Amino acid sequence: MIKLNNVSLVFQGGSVALSNVSTEISEGEFAYVIGHSGSGKSSLLKLLYKEYSPTKGEIEVADMDVTTLPKWKIPLLRRKLGIVTQEPQLLEDRTTYENISFALEVLGYEEKEIDEKTSTLIDLVDLNQSMYKFPNQLSGGEQTRVCIARALASNPLVLLCDEPTGNLDPDLSIQIVTLLEKINRAGTTVLMATHDSSIVNRRKKRVIQLKEGKLISDVDQGRYI
Amino acid sequence: MRRNPLLVIATMLAVLVSSFLVFTTLSARAIVENNTSRWQNGVHVVIFLDDRVTSTAHQQLQETLESYSEVRMVEYFSKSEATEEFKTLFQDQPELVQEVDFDILPTSLRINLNDPADYELIIERMDGNPAVKEIRASGEAIERLLTLTNTLVLSATIFAILIAFAAFILIINTLRLTAYAKRKEIKIMRTIGASATYIRLPFIFEAVFESLIGTSIAVGLGWGFIQYSKTSFIAESIFDIAISDSYLINLTLVLLLSTIIFGFFASFVGIRKVLND
Repeated sequence: MIKLNNVSLVFQGGSVALSNVSTEISEGEFAYVIGHSGSGKSSLLKLLYKEYSPTKGEIEVADMDVTTLPKWKIPLLRRKLGIVTQEPQLLEDRTTYENISFALEVLGYEEKEIDEKTSTLIDLVDLNQSMYKFPNQLSGGEQTRVCIARALASNPLVLLCDEPTGNLDPDLSIQIVTLLEKINRAGTTVLMATHDSSIVNRRKKRVIQLKEGKLISDVDQGRYI
Repeated sequence: MRRNPLLVIATMLAVLVSSFLVFTTLSARAIVENNTSRWQNGVHVVIFLDDRVTSTAHQQLQETLESYSEVRMVEYFSKSEATEEFKTLFQDQPELVQEVDFDILPTSLRINLNDPADYELIIERMDGNPAVKEIRASGEAIERLLTLTNTLVLSATIFAILIAFAAFILIINTLRLTAYAKRKEIKIMRTIGASATYIRLPFIFEAVFESLIGTSIAVGLGWGFIQYSKTSFIAESIFDIAISDSYLINLTLVLLLSTIIFGFFASFVGIRKVLND
């Protein structure tokens, strides 16, 4: 599903974000990408959805050659992916329902389908009680769940989560990870970047560890030491 | 558009002024061309004949003129015909008509040329001819009028282009402000996988809408101005406000189409940076 072959990313100014990273993530897998701030976690995820282009190496995601992907095909790639960022990017003037249905409108669904799918997604992330609340009325965990629901609008093959629990307390973080595992069990490949060792060590999933842009370990049922 | 109403109004006004200038300038040029064409098909040179010379000499002069390749037609205008023409021209001034001694009105030859610009050749050839008392040519006046018209058209066109450029910049600024206000929404759309076209569409619509409104009002004002001119003092002067409805309709359609393309192009330039970020 995801292949990185000798991928490096060097920013203008010479700062090295990633250096010769190679790894593969299979369909249906759940993997954590861990490391301290600045280790390259976010950069790796951004390479996968073509927010950045690699300086060197090849990247393949969902059978698409991301390295040479032309600009006009980037939307097609992103429709195969669901992206959840650390800061919940919600539209403040729209309710939970509208934030999710907005994604479905953008994807071109018919009105009737939008209603049905939105209800399904709200159900999946257990936000029925907050359907008509605005973002400023939601907790941090609820906001993240709205973002996850929106990311699932396109039935993505891969869910990329960049520190979704970064601003949440431990209890809420567990809720989010539990939700992500539920989504993974339904068949979606999940790649989650985090620096939260307590989550990683509890879940016994594949752990890909980065340090200063280099891949230093890649272990099934790994731990963050 | 609701976010920046003043900027939107300024944009529409700039488009309106530019379109109005183009519409009225092109219409005015068409009217002048129609009028000069009419004049050019009339009498180009009038040769007033010396009555001391015999009628045979007048006839010979007429035959000489008719032999020139530049001359299409020569018409002999007798004293009595000149008198009748004078009475018709000045029928509103009976006191003047009563005072005039019609004997002083000369006979004349009225010449129609194939090319009105050849009037100078005729003047040159008739120079020194004893049968010729005086020569008057309308070609010179027409040339001056056409030169003046072309200068006015050029000036108005330059001004219209400057205003259109200002309108272009205004549209881009309006769109950029809107894009900035909607940056979060655009970022989310790009993350979800919205195509560039989908993101662009509302901006294209806004730019085209603003341009169309400005041009539509301009064209309406232009049509109104022309209709008013047909019954105003301008029409009572030397000008006949002769311009066909089909010309105005074609001009309207061309302007509307141009403004749609203009708005389209402005929207592409306006939000290109937003889509590339």
